Amino acid sequence: MIQVTNLHKAFTVKDRKTKSKKRIEAVRGISFTVQPGEIYGLLGPNGAGKSTTLRMIATLMQPDQGHIEVCGLDTQKEGEKVRGKLGFLSTDMNVYERFTPRELLRLFGEFQGVDPTIAERRGIYLLEKLQLADFSDVKMDGLSSGQKQKVSIARALLHDPKVVIFDEPTTGLDVLTAKTVLDLLRVMKSEGRTVIVSTHVMPLVDEICDRVGIIFDGELYGDAPPREILGRYSVRTLDEVFFQLAAGGAR
Amino acid sequence: MRGVGLIFKKEWMEFSKDKRTLFFTFIMPLILYPAIFTMMTKMAQGDRDRRHGQASRIVVVDPSNALKPILSLDSKDFLVMDTPSGDLKQALRDQKLDLAIEVDADAAAKLQKQEPFTIKAMVDESESSSEYAMKRLKDTLEKQDKAWVAARLEAIKAPKDLPNPTNLVKEKASDLALELSKVLGMWVPYILLIGLYTNAMQHGAYMTAGEKERHTLLSLLSTSLPRTHIIWGKLLATFSIGVLGTIMNIVAMNLSFILLGRQIATAEAMQGGAAMETVKLADMASPSTLMLTLLLLIPLGLFFSSIILFLGTQAKNTREAMTAITPGIFVVIMLGVFSMAPGLDKMAALPYIPVLNVALTIRKLFSHQAVAWQYILAFLMTTGLAGGMAWISTRLLNRESVLFKQ
Repeated sequence: MIQVTNLHKAFTVKDRKTKSKKRIEAVRGISFTVQPGEIYGLLGPNGAGKSTTLRMIATLMQPDQGHIEVCGLDTQKEGEKVRGKLGFLSTDMNVYERFTPRELLRLFGEFQGVDPTIAERRGIYLLEKLQLADFSDVKMDGLSSGQKQKVSIARALLHDPKVVIFDEPTTGLDVLTAKTVLDLLRVMKSEGRTVIVSTHVMPLVDEICDRVGIIFDGELYGDAPPREILGRYSVRTLDEVFFQLAAGGAR
Repeated sequence: MRGVGLIFKKEWMEFSKDKRTLFFTFIMPLILYPAIFTMMTKMAQGDRDRRHGQASRIVVVDPSNALKPILSLDSKDFLVMDTPSGDLKQALRDQKLDLAIEVDADAAAKLQKQEPFTIKAMVDESESSSEYAMKRLKDTLEKQDKAWVAARLEAIKAPKDLPNPTNLVKEKASDLALELSKVLGMWVPYILLIGLYTNAMQHGAYMTAGEKERHTLLSLLSTSLPRTHIIWGKLLATFSIGVLGTIMNIVAMNLSFILLGRQIATAEAMQGGAAMETVKLADMASPSTLMLTLLLLIPLGLFFSSIILFLGTQAKNTREAMTAITPGIFVVIMLGVFSMAPGLDKMAALPYIPVLNVALTIRKLFSHQAVAWQYILAFLMTTGLAGGMAWISTRLLNRESVLFKQ
């Protein structure tokens, strides 16, 4: 389970023109809970605070204020244990191109404390699921971006995490590969894992998410099943909720 | 510490996949140094043989013919040429001749009266052939002076040893091994300082800023490995590559010296010369000297590697990292050159100056003058600095502004 309570995060950026420092509040008092066996969709435009929120849950960043619990563990105090239970994938992540998928997965399995033999077996199983088993011994600089993304997904799931966070998992993928990823997310849900997916692709949200939270200007809106949100804002698509939020009327 | 070992393994696995870098780091020195040394020796030998085989071209202005006939007789060493038109100095610079000799106009009369006469020799010291001609002239004059003095002594029936009241006999306190060991003691710190830094810098930048640039660092940080383990694993990998690269350089140089020694010995034997005095590495540096030097490499290598990691961690890409790391080469070269300065070992403050005290200690180890407290101080000081820099790098890797620098 993931429990996020009153999360705050601000950054200081330098304005090159005025030479002054500016404080930007990226996340402002966000709270939500994701249960095991649930897929939570985190939506929002670029720069809304989605990635910052996900990075804080994945312990890559520390919140300025608020509290996050993953599987009952405090992310600020037990970061290493949290990362052991969490599979994180982000668009900012790439694969080590000098390795083959098999080598990479074996190595990351060891990083996560998985026995190398088990890591390799599980790696091959995941590559098979992602239809990449034929490329398991090909150096990754020879793989396409979609194939590399599949390896990244396998890397994130290698240690059999209870919690999975996928930030834009289908970015840059063709329709077929994207479908494979969605199928995998459904499998994870059926296995009782806690899943958070951040995306721009609205049909994907409709298709797989049990509940949706829309981050806009660092604040969370919605936090309900997609149909309920549509009803709440009296619109037909989630895109329209976006437009309303941008116009300021829905807040 | 499992995480440190795993990151170390990962970095070495990645490094070993880059065959080109492996070749340039470990194989290239083994080919390059012997090749360069052999080529330079061959060129120097060729030049020397050419000089030895050819008579020096000289012009002699000697109106009284006091010296010219003597030099003309020595056709093996001198080729007496006609005075060229124009400036003699320019003729020397243009290498049209090797030496211009001017003898006093009344030299023959002075010689007759047993008075000294002056010989002026114009030489171009920037040219080895001109310098060699000067040496030949000196040798010939020394021989001729002796002959003239012997004739004069005989004329007055004086003993032959009259002009030599003393006889200086030189006895060497040191042997060739110690002399070479002191030379090594000057060179080794220089090579170590530069080798450790330059061999580690590329890989340090690749492992830190390179990971950010290739977007792989986040996947590493999202594992359950502590960040301290990640930075220490990278530090040890950078350090080990730097040290191994440096050792390969030293091995390659040693190999070159052995080849060089053999070439010279063969050349001497072919010319029927005396057997050359040969010195083994073991005579110059005892196993304890080598071991203590290698032991000092550990903190020094760690210190350099942690500086490289510190700079690399702050950069957002490899180019930025190299821009920050490269100026360090000049600092290290300056330190290296300074460490070779004569009289350096006499400076009282040196044992307290970081890095240079390592150079001083190695120099003293090779000179058989090592002082225990200086060695321990250099070791502890460098270890402290390495630890401090590694701590700063770890702190830096925990800073979000550094991690997510765009």
